[in-house]
Amino acid sequence: MKPEDFEQKLQRQPLRQVPAEWREEILREGRRAAVPEIRDADTASLPKWSWLSTLNPQLSTLLWPHPAAWAGLAAIWILILAVDFSVRDKSLVMVEKSAPPSPEVIVELKQQQRMLAELIGPRDEHDADRSKSFVPQPRSERVEILAA
Amino acid sequence: MRGPDLRRLYDEHAQPLYAFLLNLTRDEADTRDLLQDVFVKLARDPDLLTGVRDEHAFLFRLAHNAAIDLIRRRGTRDKTRDRFVAEIISPFAPTSDPDEQTFRAALAGALAELPPEQRAVVHLKLWERLTFEQIAGALDIPLNTAASRYRYGLDKLRERLRPIYEEL
Repeated sequence: MKPEDFEQKLQRQPLRQVPAEWREEILREGRRAAVPEIRDADTASLPKWSWLSTLNPQLSTLLWPHPAAWAGLAAIWILILAVDFSVRDKSLVMVEKSAPPSPEVIVELKQQQRMLAELIGPRDEHDADRSKSFVPQPRSERVEILAA
Repeated sequence: MRGPDLRRLYDEHAQPLYAFLLNLTRDEADTRDLLQDVFVKLARDPDLLTGVRDEHAFLFRLAHNAAIDLIRRRGTRDKTRDRFVAEIISPFAPTSDPDEQTFRAALAGALAELPPEQRAVVHLKLWERLTFEQIAGALDIPLNTAASRYRYGLDKLRERLRPIYEEL
């Protein structure tokens, strides 16, 4: 089979003819589109669509090319939400369990607080001592202090 | 551009555009819609052809863009339907010669198996006799791409049709 022969054989195949009745229909649509008054009158006679009904075909045009991908994405989101809800429930239970301390515990805590305060001593004195600024003294005075 | 110009455009270009769109879509109703879209676009925008050097190639470009949009919208939804339709809707004229009819049916089937981008180039080269430069302009692709798509497409057709072609 020569390549040129094959190409010529293909080129000789006659193509299907456009249906004759289409001519007037398509030209009529063309005229309608060209004249704005006819176009506007046509659209005015149509029932008004809600924004939802106009959104629907736009959404399907957007989503239709890869329905499996969108479905997969939706499934992943559902999984994430499910995991999130289950984790959130557990943490709430933990908070509920630890939230109300018993009166005995409160009394015990107060006692411990009091003991701690006694051990440390009054806070004001301690702070006052600490706030005294250090003034260096001459060496001779320091020796006297040590001998005393 | 109104009335008479649209008629002239239709009479000069509707037939080749129809065959091209039918070869790409393999669906007569889709072809009807796309052909109408092309002429409605021309009617709505009278300046669309202003400054266009190659009217024929430009109209193929409009038709091709519309067809590719439709094929993308269809996506995988109609793959099985495409196969089914391909057996019925052929872009070739019917004939009473059984051998020719067999060859045309096989050719239509082989064309349907080509990717749309190769099918478009093969159609424009074989049945519209456009040059690779015109095809590149019409499909908005580089010249080398047009030539290589034609070569790959034709090789596939040759392989697929070899048994029938040699038998005839």
